[in-house]
Amino acid sequence: MTSHKVQKDLATFLLYVLGFLLLWEWLRPLEQLTDTSNITVFLIFLMLSLLMSFYGVSPLLSGFIKVLYVVYVLHFLYFEGAFFQTSWISPFWEDLIYNFSLMADRDWSSITNLFRSLLFFVLLGLMTYLIQYWLINRRQIFIFLFMTLVYITVLDTFTPYVANGAIVRTVIAGFAVMGILTFYRLLDKEGIKKEVSLSRKWMVPLALLIAVSAGLGFTAPKAEPMWPDPVPFIKSYGQNSGGNGPGIQKIGYGEDDSRLGGPFIGDNGVVFRAEVESRHYWKVETKDTYTGKGWVTSQPEEEFLPFGMGEDIPVSSFIDNNAIETTEETSSVYTFMNYPHVVYPLGVKSIDAPPFITYELETATEKIRTLDGGRPVALDQYKLRFEVPEYSVTGLKSAETNAGVLPDEFLARYTQLPDELPNRVRELALEITQDKTDWFEKARELERYFHRSEYNYDQQDVAVPDEDEDYVDQFLFDTKQGYCDNFSSSMAVMARSIGLPARWVKGYTEGEFQQPTGSGLRLFEVTNNNAHSWVEIYFPEIGWVPFEPTQGFSNNIQFNFDNAGQNTNQAEPEEPKETETPVKPEKTEEKVADESSFSIKEIWESVKAFFADNWKVIGIAVLTGALLILMLYQKRGKWLPHYFVWRFKQTEKDEHFPKAYLILLKELDRYGLKRKNGQTLREYAKYVDSFFSTKEMSRLTSRYEELIYRGVLKEGSWTETKELWENLIKKTIA
Amino acid sequence: MDRNHMHPTIERVLGNIEKVMIGKRDVAELSLVALLAEGHVLLEDVPGVGKTMMVRALAKSVGAAFKRIQFTPDLLPSDVTGVSIYNPKEMEFQFRPGPIMGNIILADEINRTSPKTQSALLEGMEESSVTIDGVTHRLEKPFFVMATQNPIEYEGTYPLPEAQLDRFLLKMKMGYPEVSEEMEVLNRAQRIPPIEELEPVIDLAELRELQKEIKEVHVDDTIKRYIVDIANRTRTHSSVYLGASPRGSIALMKAAQAYAFMYGRDYVLPDDIQYLAPAVFVHRIILKSEAKFEGITADEVVERVFARVPVPVQRLVK
Repeated sequence: MTSHKVQKDLATFLLYVLGFLLLWEWLRPLEQLTDTSNITVFLIFLMLSLLMSFYGVSPLLSGFIKVLYVVYVLHFLYFEGAFFQTSWISPFWEDLIYNFSLMADRDWSSITNLFRSLLFFVLLGLMTYLIQYWLINRRQIFIFLFMTLVYITVLDTFTPYVANGAIVRTVIAGFAVMGILTFYRLLDKEGIKKEVSLSRKWMVPLALLIAVSAGLGFTAPKAEPMWPDPVPFIKSYGQNSGGNGPGIQKIGYGEDDSRLGGPFIGDNGVVFRAEVESRHYWKVETKDTYTGKGWVTSQPEEEFLPFGMGEDIPVSSFIDNNAIETTEETSSVYTFMNYPHVVYPLGVKSIDAPPFITYELETATEKIRTLDGGRPVALDQYKLRFEVPEYSVTGLKSAETNAGVLPDEFLARYTQLPDELPNRVRELALEITQDKTDWFEKARELERYFHRSEYNYDQQDVAVPDEDEDYVDQFLFDTKQGYCDNFSSSMAVMARSIGLPARWVKGYTEGEFQQPTGSGLRLFEVTNNNAHSWVEIYFPEIGWVPFEPTQGFSNNIQFNFDNAGQNTNQAEPEEPKETETPVKPEKTEEKVADESSFSIKEIWESVKAFFADNWKVIGIAVLTGALLILMLYQKRGKWLPHYFVWRFKQTEKDEHFPKAYLILLKELDRYGLKRKNGQTLREYAKYVDSFFSTKEMSRLTSRYEELIYRGVLKEGSWTETKELWENLIKKTIA
Repeated sequence: MDRNHMHPTIERVLGNIEKVMIGKRDVAELSLVALLAEGHVLLEDVPGVGKTMMVRALAKSVGAAFKRIQFTPDLLPSDVTGVSIYNPKEMEFQFRPGPIMGNIILADEINRTSPKTQSALLEGMEESSVTIDGVTHRLEKPFFVMATQNPIEYEGTYPLPEAQLDRFLLKMKMGYPEVSEEMEVLNRAQRIPPIEELEPVIDLAELRELQKEIKEVHVDDTIKRYIVDIANRTRTHSSVYLGASPRGSIALMKAAQAYAFMYGRDYVLPDDIQYLAPAVFVHRIILKSEAKFEGITADEVVERVFARVPVPVQRLVK
């Protein structure tokens, strides 16, 4: 290999600067993600190394300077006293020896920070050498650029590091480096002198191209992610396989609620889409035991109630009696994440899915698991039949009188509270409900309490209770801001504190409306952002009634106030009206929105929906088309010559001779008889003829030579040479 | 190239030369190309490989006056051009023409003489005239110089500067004959030298006619473009300090015309250009000293240039 001398011109300097920028991108996240501080000293080291490499400082001198710098920095960072006071040298030396012994013992975790910094310097030194090797000797940087991008994007995806700027910087710097290196490679290959005018011809368009494309990319509208974010899935997979960290952060829907608090990390990953008749929440599971930090289940999770398709689901919800008017509805769910459980609305009756699927209800949590031959399996889609309740307020108000019928065991389970619960929580609950006499009014009052302005809905700035703090207490009295978990837990705990049997319900809200799908059905999309929790309170003879304490949310549960105090039977004639009301305003709302934003949005929505619905078909069609084209291209040797023969056979015109000849050249090239750049037609014709053992190519070529090097197209050129041409092109048929 | 299509007259001349020169057909062809293109030739080779024989045979074949100048360090310009001598009988100066006043001149070991004497010859080559004592003497056409240079002995020589080398249309080497050829040379050396018996096959008028016809050989724009591309590449090549001059491009075109004519064509092919380019360009290229150290030769540079410049296979689109 010929060694390249480092030229000290502007372009080379630029290369070094860009190489430095790329290296810098590797260091930037360290400050944020690790406890590495003082990144600056490492950056200065990088700069120093690259500068010395640029100026071609002899390895001995540059090595000496680097060692001096490293030692000085290590002294500066880890030792007291002046640098020249040599007293620090012996501890430094001892530290080195100690660490070498650690390395020999492979006790990596005990290695001291000093030694780690030293090793990091060594690594950076190697990296600068590698950069110089790539830039100057190999003239190739793609691998490094690719690695940098992978590094940044992986960090962006899996860590809090936000790489928006880093990606832009890396791409711009990387493309600039690659452009300049391509220029150098071309110069080397072609053996051309590097001249200012030549450099300008290359560099100006390169800079323009990068600037324009970067500008365009920067200003262009950014589409939302097309695919659901895979990270929660990967993480949930990891969680299922064991190893739960403390629930300090909440991302979408999680299983572990034993430690609540911390910010809610937004996640647009689509969980499922549902075709529904009316808006309703989706339940996944309930939890009954409050620990002071979060929720767990009181009963062992191994208890299951199996049931089959179409059978009544043994979920406890409301009890079908006169106090509740029900309307039967069905919803279809199309899942996007492989969760082996079902989301279901309140009042679910039966489930409709492929026949081989069996179900079991986890009695402790009322989670419905889906099984295929005993193994958990995720359903692609299923249909749910359920009854939408309309609670009679009269019935609810009078329910308390039957409190005695509740078994003690049941009451104990759903009014459980930890002993450490501060008393002020109960006092607050009593204070809120002091004017109310019945359970329903009390529950309504508690629910309403959270709509006060002192409580704020906030997903980010949410506290985590300390060891000696209570999650509910902290929210109610100290922080007063949080998201659904805070609100729902607080209400459930307060309800329990005054003797109302309550449980904490987890699931999803109705999601985001997508489009009407005909026959009164509407399509909703539920993402991880729609993960939600709320409260259910048990009323004797009536069953569980959901309440929604969280600010800005509505659970669409109907209470029939009109006939409060009257005979519940008379509610019947009003029923249809009432059930329609939630549907009507929705529809008008949608219409208004559609009309005001013109039809482009509508078209866009429908196009989006079309692609969302048919992406499999479209994908397969595109793939098959591409494959077909690829196959045709691969097999072009079989059909292309035939086509050319057919096309040129018909014509008698001499003007077609040059065209036909050039096509022949191309086909011969495809056949594998390559003509080198500097090979003349005559030499090539000889080569072709010797390959086919004919003289046809030479004869044809001498005609063509006359045409292009003499400028004379003899009459009858084509008719006379047609046969030669045809014979030759037929030989190229693979 | 296909010998069957050779121009008949030229084939006869070459045949005549071959009577005395064994092998070396390519050198004979190139010499004839230079003669027909009204250029001059620099032969660089060791003594005794038949340089003189070649020129004499060529001169005899075309019926031209052959002169030979043996360059030595003490040779004066007037020894080349001629001198005016006072004739006491006629009471006036009489011009006695020097050896340059011939048709075909062999300038043997041109690098042995002083630059002043060299320039006297080179000026004649360039201007086709010499000026002596204020009188300009036109040189008779055709005027063809074949200079030789010994590449081995450098002591006491005055190597021709690059600018002067540019005046030669072609520079070539003779090379040693093959074994069988050399045996034949030995056989012939036992008899009377055949060069004495060589008869001219054409006369000077015919030669001039041929020279005129050669100018009519068609050089298409595609070919001209090809020549320029190649010349340009030699100028921008990273190993080259000074590339081929435009005069070099002209020389290549003219030589190619003669060569095409020789092979019975009235148009030039890229093959002609490729065949002639080393002989035309190599002595016009100055390499960088780094390249010389790396052992790169001008021949290699020209070869690389040809490998990279695409041969035109389509008509130029204007």
